[in-house]
Amino acid sequence: MRHYKALQRVGLLALCLCATQVLADARLEARRHFRNGMSLIGKKEYDEGIAELEQAYAIKPHPNVLYNIARAYQDAGRTAEALDTYKRYVASSPADAPSVEATIAALEEKQRASQATAESPDNSALPMPPPPASIQSQQQLGALLERLEKAIERAESMPTTGTGTATPSTYVPSVLPGVAETANGDDGAVPYEERVVTASRRAQSSLEAPNATTVITAEDIRLSGATSLPELLRRVPGADVMSLGIGSANVSLRGFNQRIANKVLVLVDGRTEYQDFLGLTLWSTIPIGLDEIERIEVIRGPGSALYGANAMLGVINIITQAPGSGPRARFNVMAGTGSSVAGSFLSHGNTGALRYRTSVAYSQADKWSRDYASNRPDIVLRDPDPDIGMRGARGTLSAVYSFGEGKQVGLSGGVHRYTTEIYPLGLLRNYFIDGLGAYAKGDVELGPLKLKTFWNHISGNAGPQYEPIGQRSLGTEISSNLFNAELLFARAFQLGGEHQLNVGVEGRLKRVGWDYLGPLREEIHAAAFVQDEWRLAEPLRLVASYRVDRHPLLDNGTPGLAHSPRISALFIPIEGHAFRISAASAFREPTFLESYTRLLVPVQGVNGASALTTGNTGLRPERLTAFELGWRGESAELGMDWDLALYQNRVKDLIGLSAFERLPPGESYDGATGNYLIGRSRFVNEDSIYTARGVEAGLTLAPVDGLGVKASAAFQNVTSDLEEKAECGPCSQAPQLKLYGGVTYRTKADLEFGVDVAFTSSTTWIEREPAASDPTRIELLSNPLGAYAVINARVGYAAVKNTVDVALVGSQLGSAHSQHPFGNRIERRVYATLTVTP
Amino acid sequence: MSRTLSSWKQSLGGVLAASLLVAGCESPTVVPTADGRQNIHTARIEGNLVVQSRARGNAVVFIYDASRPPPPQGTGRPIAFTVVPAEQLFGPALGTDAPGPFTAPFALSLVAAGKYTLRGFIDVDSCSAGVVPCHGSDFNPWYGVTSEPNTGDVGGAAVDPTNGVPLTLEVTKDAEGNPLPLTNVTVSFSQATAQVPLDRPAFQVTVVNGDHTLTAGAPPKVLRLTPQNIEGGAVVQRSKAFLVSFVDANRDGAPDDANGDGVPDLWPRVVVRKLADGPGLLEDNDLDRNGILDGILEEGGIDYVHADGTRDGQPDLVVLGAALVPDAIVAALKDENGNPRTTPVFVQELMVGVQAIALDARDPAAPARLDGLPKGRYSVVLIQSTGQTWRVPNELAPPIAAGIGLTGVESQAFVLEVL
Repeated sequence: MRHYKALQRVGLLALCLCATQVLADARLEARRHFRNGMSLIGKKEYDEGIAELEQAYAIKPHPNVLYNIARAYQDAGRTAEALDTYKRYVASSPADAPSVEATIAALEEKQRASQATAESPDNSALPMPPPPASIQSQQQLGALLERLEKAIERAESMPTTGTGTATPSTYVPSVLPGVAETANGDDGAVPYEERVVTASRRAQSSLEAPNATTVITAEDIRLSGATSLPELLRRVPGADVMSLGIGSANVSLRGFNQRIANKVLVLVDGRTEYQDFLGLTLWSTIPIGLDEIERIEVIRGPGSALYGANAMLGVINIITQAPGSGPRARFNVMAGTGSSVAGSFLSHGNTGALRYRTSVAYSQADKWSRDYASNRPDIVLRDPDPDIGMRGARGTLSAVYSFGEGKQVGLSGGVHRYTTEIYPLGLLRNYFIDGLGAYAKGDVELGPLKLKTFWNHISGNAGPQYEPIGQRSLGTEISSNLFNAELLFARAFQLGGEHQLNVGVEGRLKRVGWDYLGPLREEIHAAAFVQDEWRLAEPLRLVASYRVDRHPLLDNGTPGLAHSPRISALFIPIEGHAFRISAASAFREPTFLESYTRLLVPVQGVNGASALTTGNTGLRPERLTAFELGWRGESAELGMDWDLALYQNRVKDLIGLSAFERLPPGESYDGATGNYLIGRSRFVNEDSIYTARGVEAGLTLAPVDGLGVKASAAFQNVTSDLEEKAECGPCSQAPQLKLYGGVTYRTKADLEFGVDVAFTSSTTWIEREPAASDPTRIELLSNPLGAYAVINARVGYAAVKNTVDVALVGSQLGSAHSQHPFGNRIERRVYATLTVTP
Repeated sequence: MSRTLSSWKQSLGGVLAASLLVAGCESPTVVPTADGRQNIHTARIEGNLVVQSRARGNAVVFIYDASRPPPPQGTGRPIAFTVVPAEQLFGPALGTDAPGPFTAPFALSLVAAGKYTLRGFIDVDSCSAGVVPCHGSDFNPWYGVTSEPNTGDVGGAAVDPTNGVPLTLEVTKDAEGNPLPLTNVTVSFSQATAQVPLDRPAFQVTVVNGDHTLTAGAPPKVLRLTPQNIEGGAVVQRSKAFLVSFVDANRDGAPDDANGDGVPDLWPRVVVRKLADGPGLLEDNDLDRNGILDGILEEGGIDYVHADGTRDGQPDLVVLGAALVPDAIVAALKDENGNPRTTPVFVQELMVGVQAIALDARDPAAPARLDGLPKGRYSVVLIQSTGQTWRVPNELAPPIAAGIGLTGVESQAFVLEVL
């Protein structure tokens, strides 16, 4: 009986794998169907072609597909179906609505005439002159129309000129009443091409992006079963994702990862989540849920030419669903091992010109492992709940009011009350932060002009999770406020070819109250940038960008400028293949921590002694000079796209902590703490120049219906001009090889399967430790870390189609491991989720 | 088909339900990371300081391995220390001369299982009290020339309250081998009984016979030690004379003669110890400066050949045979009747004889002779009966002082060099 059931299940699995009407990567599949359909229509196999287009539209609606279906019906002489489809197209309010309406009117006229004459031939191909009398003329016209159709098809398949806006991309499902079946400007005119907004601060095809770009879609997120943003980023070629705790991860691109990873700018809808007073992204405090994300765009490479400071190794832009573009209500609950519990409610809606999105959520999860047990005789646990790795309750509201075409006002805000972990630098170890995050954001769009403002806030208690009993505590309070305003202008013009110009100015005020920094610190930053994309001559395009940032300390402690130029050339010789070459510089500004810190770190076990860590207002910014060659290609027929990048990053003036220097006797006692200072370590610019060379390849494949494959590989080598490999932290800490592979299989009927594996090669971390024999001596110790693989899997089931979904997710299914010598021992977890969309 | 799907749905539902039921409620396991401290189980010693003193200053408490006591009983260095600031210790009485007693809690963290002794002193700031000449709070643990008490400081220790004898404190282990905290320990400071009478025995060296070098087979080198007054920057040592006395460890009123050579044992004691090769002040076989001889292989320790041609497999504490020339001191320590004085006296100079023999003093009670004379630089250390010490060379040697913010004193660069 047991064998029978097992066989039954195997058979069921096989059945599922052979099921029809399946979907994998929706965009690629839809695109494959679209291209096949257009090809069949070109061969005048209208019925088959229209069926393919309908299938593409069913997978992922796009108004231009409707247009092409209507055209095909019209060409096939099926006027009624053509009219019906044209009307559906016009309902999506396309830019060419007047001309299409004229076509509809003409077709209706023809239809009436046809009905009146009953036997009159169908000549309604286009609102065009009457049919020629002779057969020869008809043949000539047929050939002309065929050429015209091919030309149109060609034009539709080519990237657009990019007059779209930089607002978040939106897929508007048909289930939302009152919202048209359309996608907004980010979707572009070419059906199913991948669109990005981050690379050039405007919507464009990813083929046109001047940087290596990876997009993680909402569908990718859902099928992955991931519960955190960093886990999703493992699929990005060249991404270094290092989880130290369930709520604490560091993410870098192309090496240079560390505790407090500070070289990648993280944005949510253009609002920074990079905490630039600390120089890190608190991933688990970002006040949005994965189910609110439309897509994540990852720019692998310098982005300072557009985004300024901290977009040194790349930009991660998290784009949320546009208000009003999702379900009216969606409930999501999750429970799993490790005391993992989460619940969220998401709602979209609209009232006239006002659209909104709101969400509330709660989540928590235990640490994977704890460093210390409770009730030890030597260690006191300061963490409010020493088992909890991450806990938070949050709410967001986002609304957009449209005054007319290209004119709208957006307001959004959110609040997040959370507890999570941080792993700071140097001698400091595992910290907790029990805090409150809040933001408010306002956007005004008036045609080519956009004003973007936001406020970010963090406050709360932070400190070591554990401290020796009797030792002075490093617990502290933090309050950070950041105000930012940005004015953007975009315009296209002709001058020796087509130009797309983007200019912007930005100002930022930062205020941080934190006793690690001394008195309240305040900085005002300003910046201006310009970018021009010049279509010099097809198939060559040039993209030139330049940004200048004014920083209050960059000139040896006085205000100074940082310049970030970028030049890229794009060569698109044939459809679907773009070759790029770029050179750019980027920088990371010194953080408040690096500039102002004065922190006495207790020497473990010697309560009368501390190690002084100080900031340095004379720091130079970290500098990157990057060169990149890339090839981005796609084969719509095969349902495949790929990206290949070769790069060289040259990094200098890295900011790090110096070795401890003994202090003069007069300076080595701190009266406030009653501690003697063993020495001082200060933030300094390193003398070494590091060169990272690497190659990255990413492939997305949807070869047959239902099967989606993603694979990527990245190899890199980091060297120093001064340090031997064994002494070079950035060299040995960067994994040389990273591999990712993921497979999803989805039946349209009810089942989804997904599994992915991310492999990271071994590393050696050079970290500071007190000497075992004498804790007042601080040593640099090498900590080897073995290679590891992160394996995740998901099985989903649509219990009630479009209404109730359940899923079982296995996370970290590989062998237990650590991703940093001081990080948690990561062990597997299993979650069950229930999603209800009433 | 539908039946199969139904079965599958039931299975999946079962898995989901089961997973919900087993949703972990257990605490995460404890897995120490590569952080060295997380892999060591320790405890703590805590209690109160009890101070009876009109003098004011920070209290510094040192913890020593009981088997390596500090001077004058031994040459041990503290394992750790803690500071209780004067503001916390004396509270509102800080600006007064109230005698106390004053109490304040103290703690020594991360103490491994073992036996310990606690010593301490009040780093008295007599300048604030208007004393002339005065010492500010001048203790600094990171420099040899500032790491010990001076005149006016008030000594303290964890002692048996019944007899005042220093206690040996033991951090024990429980049945599972985890150390247990030691609480309610009292460290007592008394100005009346333990105020330091004089500064450290800072000295300068003059070689009486020849230069500062010594060779194998050469006659003993005679060094004259005279007080060195230092008043520059962070170091204030008003050393006018040396405090000398007979050793009377058993307090029987008669001078001890531990080695039975017929010459009474004297305070101060003198040690001529080999320094590590190269510049600087590191001592040979103690490159990590923790006061404990380095291991042979792990820490680069050196095992010298002993006089019998063997090596004992352990790093050696290399000293030269050295002693005070006793005649003048013994004479000074006898009264007009020729009887030994029981109280110390001051002398203006000390003569030190250094023989061309080298010893391994790993076991101070039974030094072993080494083969030949290990070449290199040697320091001269004077240990006073109060436990205060002075060493030449030290951080006041001009090349070193310049780099660490001290005022250089030429005489403090002296080294005895074995060629």
